[in-house]
Amino acid sequence: MTIYVYDGSFEGLLSTIFQIFTDKVLPINIIDERHCQFGLLDEIRRVDADETRVERVLYGLNQCSDGRAALLVYKMFLSELPRFEMAILCFIKTVMASHENILGNYANPHIAEALRIEKMIGREVHRMHAFVRFQKSVEGIFQAAINPDFNVLPLIGSHFEKRYADQPWLILDTLRHYALYYDLKTTRFLESDDPLLAISPARHDGQWQDEKEDLYQQLWVSYFHAVNIQERRNPKLHLRHMPRRYWRYLIEKC
Amino acid sequence: MSRRSNDVRRAAFTVEEVVDLTINFYRRNYIEGLFLSSGIFKNADYTMERLVRVARMLRREHNFNGYIHLKAIPGASPELLHEAGLLADRLSVNIEIPSEPSLQKVAPEKNYPDIIKPMNYLAEEKAQYQDAKPKIRKTPLFLPAGQSTQLIVGASPENDLQILHLADNLYQKQKLRRVYYSGYIPIATDNRVPQVKAPPLVRENRVYQADWLMRFYGFSVGEIVTPQNPDLDLEVDPKLSYALRNPQQFPVDINRDDYERILRVPGIGVKSAQKIVSSRQHQRLRLDHLQAIGVVVKRARYFIKCPGIATSPGEQQPSVIRARILALDTPRTSPQMSLFG
Repeated sequence: MTIYVYDGSFEGLLSTIFQIFTDKVLPINIIDERHCQFGLLDEIRRVDADETRVERVLYGLNQCSDGRAALLVYKMFLSELPRFEMAILCFIKTVMASHENILGNYANPHIAEALRIEKMIGREVHRMHAFVRFQKSVEGIFQAAINPDFNVLPLIGSHFEKRYADQPWLILDTLRHYALYYDLKTTRFLESDDPLLAISPARHDGQWQDEKEDLYQQLWVSYFHAVNIQERRNPKLHLRHMPRRYWRYLIEKC
Repeated sequence: MSRRSNDVRRAAFTVEEVVDLTINFYRRNYIEGLFLSSGIFKNADYTMERLVRVARMLRREHNFNGYIHLKAIPGASPELLHEAGLLADRLSVNIEIPSEPSLQKVAPEKNYPDIIKPMNYLAEEKAQYQDAKPKIRKTPLFLPAGQSTQLIVGASPENDLQILHLADNLYQKQKLRRVYYSGYIPIATDNRVPQVKAPPLVRENRVYQADWLMRFYGFSVGEIVTPQNPDLDLEVDPKLSYALRNPQQFPVDINRDDYERILRVPGIGVKSAQKIVSSRQHQRLRLDHLQAIGVVVKRARYFIKCPGIATSPGEQQPSVIRARILALDTPRTSPQMSLFG
């Protein structure tokens, strides 16, 4: 009854999976050391992150597939779903064991599961592309708060980098307490104790906002309601595209 | 009907106001881009020039790279349409009424040649730019998102056969990217158009489904509507309707038949068909695999051959299949449907 424990990082997980391949055992679970609980009979193995092992796993994955598998594993990691570590292990085993490009086989349960998770992540990324609402600060930084179901902040940066290349912006994940910040040159992550986050959209006193911010918000809200065609009101469809849990940071809905 | 004699309050923005609103909404990620239309001020060129000026200011002065969709005003000069094509992602001329005689009745000052002329001009210009592309590396983009138009369904007596043939023609000849269909909602009391309360949303949905069949499923318009069945069935979608009318085309063998034939099975969409064709290279597919792939098995099962399906002889009758599938669909409380429902 082996349980493998890793440090909670992507690198740590891949190193652990490398170790599992070396040990030739099938663990009953792989868990993050930050929230782990063990039974009395469990045998615990802790594995440290190791850069060369990570690279070997990622390289091997892409060798055995059309080059999509490594990114897919990263997305599964970001999903934070229950027992995602085991889903990743099963997926990697399946890919490594196949000679042809098995990613095209939707009838394989482990591949299907990986692609199902990828689809969920893809939907969340798509929603975050649409649901980010920036507010301009006095310093001219466009700031937004999000609380996505999955940890998609690492996946949405490139979209906003391309779209808003000439404005500094900051997107804060209020659930996971970190942010993505673009300063007109590079995009980087900010941890929760970063001084830049002291002024943030989480504050509601309005002191940090650009003087015209409130005006544009009002204009947007009235535009949003004015374009609605009463005869075509379809609340069910509306909720499917814009579920209620996302309304909190949508200026037009809260 | 959009018509200048309609007694509704109208409002106008200045060019600068539209530009300021667009760029500020865009920077806050409220909007993807701009869809700009206008009633006719003074004349066609004056109006078109104002639309083009908005696009030019956004692109040149504000480096706006978002989406721009402009109305092409019928009767505007080719020079203005050409500049609009270089600035905008998409242009559209709305046909609104799907036949010339009906258009004459509702809006006597409008006619088909005026509407088709700018469409043809833009289609030719786009083709020229596309031809130049492989030869000249820095060929500018001309209407990268193509042209579109809108047809109103239910305001005039045209049947679905006429509407879909018109749409098919627009796709083939004018190379339109999209035709939009809009169930008629009356805005002014007028005895030249019929009085209806609720817009014909189910019919609108069926027409869209038929349009999808033409563009993504390899159906020809003659397979969707025929002189014997000129209107789409409101009870079942056009793909199921085709399958019920053509039982000799089925069952389709999931493990053997071409992609094109699999795509014709009710309950199998483009994505599922692609997944089936890709997966069957690795292994033989059974019914439970189809379920996992995303096929709507309760519909597809009557039209496919694959391990795991047991069909009794009585089930092959189109009338029986129709009744069974209708019984499966939960009664809808709302007349509205989703686009892919």
